[in-house]
Amino acid sequence: MISRVRLCRRISFSVSAIAAALLLSACGSPQDDVFPSGPITLVVNWPAGGGMDRAGRLVAEYARRHLDVPIAVINVAGSGGAIGIRHVAEADPDGYTVGILGASLVASQYINPNANAVEDIDLIAFLGPDPAALQVRADSGIDSLAEFVTTAQSEPGSIKNGNDAPGGVSHIAATLLERTANIELTLVPYRGYAPTVSAIVSGEVQSATLPVHQLIDQHEAGDVKILGVMAETRHFMAPEVPTFREQGIDLVTGDWRAIYLPNGVPEDRRAFLENLFVATMNDPEFQAAARQQSFFISPMGAADTQRFIADFDEALYPVLLDADLVKARHK
Amino acid sequence: MIANFLSVAWTVLTDPYLLGMSALGTVLGITMGCLPGISSTMALAILLPVTYAMSPVAAMMFLMAVFSASVYGGSISAILINIPGTPGAIVTQLEGYAMTRKGEASEALTLSLFSSTMGGIVGLIILMLVAPIVASAAMQFRSPEFAMATVFGLTMLAYSTPGSTFRGILSGMIGLLCGMVGFDVVTDVARFDFGTTALQSGIELVPLTVGLFGLAEVLRGLESDARRAVTTPALGTLFPSLTKLRKLWKTVLRGSALGAIIGAIPAAGSAIAVAVSYAQEQRLSKRSAEFGTGVPEGLAGPEAANNACVGGALVPLMTLGIPGDTMTAVLMGALLIHGLRPGPLLFAERPDFVAGVYVALFFALVLTVVFGTFLIRYFVRLMRTPSHVLLLIIALLCVIGSYAIRNNVVDVYLMLAFGVIGYVMTRLEIPVAPLAFGLILGPILEENLRRSLIISDGSWLVFVERPIALTMLLLSVAALSYPLLRRFIDRRAPDEPR
Repeated sequence: MISRVRLCRRISFSVSAIAAALLLSACGSPQDDVFPSGPITLVVNWPAGGGMDRAGRLVAEYARRHLDVPIAVINVAGSGGAIGIRHVAEADPDGYTVGILGASLVASQYINPNANAVEDIDLIAFLGPDPAALQVRADSGIDSLAEFVTTAQSEPGSIKNGNDAPGGVSHIAATLLERTANIELTLVPYRGYAPTVSAIVSGEVQSATLPVHQLIDQHEAGDVKILGVMAETRHFMAPEVPTFREQGIDLVTGDWRAIYLPNGVPEDRRAFLENLFVATMNDPEFQAAARQQSFFISPMGAADTQRFIADFDEALYPVLLDADLVKARHK
Repeated sequence: MIANFLSVAWTVLTDPYLLGMSALGTVLGITMGCLPGISSTMALAILLPVTYAMSPVAAMMFLMAVFSASVYGGSISAILINIPGTPGAIVTQLEGYAMTRKGEASEALTLSLFSSTMGGIVGLIILMLVAPIVASAAMQFRSPEFAMATVFGLTMLAYSTPGSTFRGILSGMIGLLCGMVGFDVVTDVARFDFGTTALQSGIELVPLTVGLFGLAEVLRGLESDARRAVTTPALGTLFPSLTKLRKLWKTVLRGSALGAIIGAIPAAGSAIAVAVSYAQEQRLSKRSAEFGTGVPEGLAGPEAANNACVGGALVPLMTLGIPGDTMTAVLMGALLIHGLRPGPLLFAERPDFVAGVYVALFFALVLTVVFGTFLIRYFVRLMRTPSHVLLLIIALLCVIGSYAIRNNVVDVYLMLAFGVIGYVMTRLEIPVAPLAFGLILGPILEENLRRSLIISDGSWLVFVERPIALTMLLLSVAALSYPLLRRFIDRRAPDEPR
């Protein structure tokens, strides 16, 4: 039998160790007159290894070349990206915490009562769009967007489309497609892009509304055909595929990536960071590296970014309202 | 392909830089794998940035070594301190830690290294030679098959739990409930989140396993007064005797084949493979009643399966560009950073690179044996550390490990909570491993079941109409009804005079 004193001593020993570890995680940022005088943290709101992570790390690597201080990339993932955004929104507005995010910001604010709204953060730079596309299996016998629409209209729900869970980018693209082309699909939800790719390759679904680069290999191999790109211009990875607008359907949607700060960063630091990231994205070497990883780069500054995202918000709200997904806040 | 393999292997052998990368990856992989809370996925994710500046082949040498070695490293901590360093090592501790308690730690470790290496080699051979066949078989798997495979996995779990089946099922059910926490993938509704963001993305597997198997162990350690007089096992027998190996070769081959096949099924992963292998060895063994008390077969089979999964999991990644689990997902990220897109075209356009991946895995296996033999001595030496110091280090690693997975303090609280739950469950003699399996399998089952029903327009016949799904359903029913039927048959038998 153990003596009570020794048990207490051991417990306090372990508790102090845990406390020490918690303290380690609570280090502050440097405060100085010169900005930046210490490392900048770039928060990625999705796990390591994914598209957002690769984009964030690429931006950090090239932005570093314009700076005397390091940029540390950390992944704060969870709740469909909402936790990472909250991490930045609630950080000290000293300019030492920046973040990268995508379209999930706009959808989550309506779907998730605990997510931040667009107004809770300060968007300062736009990396580029990641347009959605419509892909069908080659053995479906559908060869063009017009045929796709005809088939879906004559037998509503007969085409099974692979997409994200409701509110995800490829789900939004599929829903917008249904509304714009006045068709009905059976929307089959998957947990992210990779399982959706797998589903269309295996034939579980006949079509998908994924970004162009997700199925580019299967498109080139002839197993899958990309019928159209939901962008204003054709995609550099599949220049032979026409846009939806060229085929008479006015549909532009998809994901995008942008850099943001917590609200209330001093004006001079905010301007410094805006210039830094816009300059980085205009760097030809960065653009070459980004293209190689299939990122579409079209840099914009703070004002244009905020206008773009307001427009996106405007287009998305009725879709989510229609899908009964507006639960958290109303416009 | 063989000629390619040999030429790339020769290049690596004569290039100290490439060989050094593989060696460095192996050492880091074993070290991180055996630290509780650092899963193979985390080890890969943490070390991925190191490879940014490397050439694609060097990066592959390094990352494949981390991948393969960390899977083995996970078994070291499972055997020595009853904490699976990686989720795939959950089963390893059942027999491995039991052997350690019997004073057979050294034998358990060498057996694990031997079976892991054999499993890894079989996995590699299957990857190289049968990749297209296995891949096309895995392509038959759609949502209904995944749903039924998970049902089968859960059945095997109930079947293989040591002790009372009822308590095993109870624990598994708690795990299934834990798996329902967070956003539901079909309707995107947050469940059991108690109005906080903390639980919206679900209960992460790493904090749960670190708490259940790590912190709970610390709490148990605090309870016992004896400073756990760890009798350091003799280090003479670092290779198991030939007679023992001869007895185990069938077990190892079965485990390897199972691991490679299950590993090649996207999303199935090593946790299912080791569970199935363990259940199978228990079923085939003459000493099935002794399972849980340190039976070598129960260690060798799952260990082989665990490492064979590495080769298996690379099959869908390399041939289809579809990562089958989180580890291969990180590897895919690494390939993309280097401008290489895994998929059907990679085989046609870059056969040299595909061969490079095989070579990287091969060297990782060889070097794991070399460093594993060396590090086994080191880790057995670590066991001489007084238990209160060890407990302190484990507690620290539990906190750091659960925090580092996504830089979220909530995971630390979760880990602490599951540490207490694990401790209470052990005191009540409820097995904790089924809880972890329930958490892994639950979401896979729910998602695929509901998706199957969307695709079949609500018809449950979809599980009966598809041959693979039906087979697995029947196997599950048979496995579940067997104990009941056996009791019924026993009761019908004429009473023997006592």
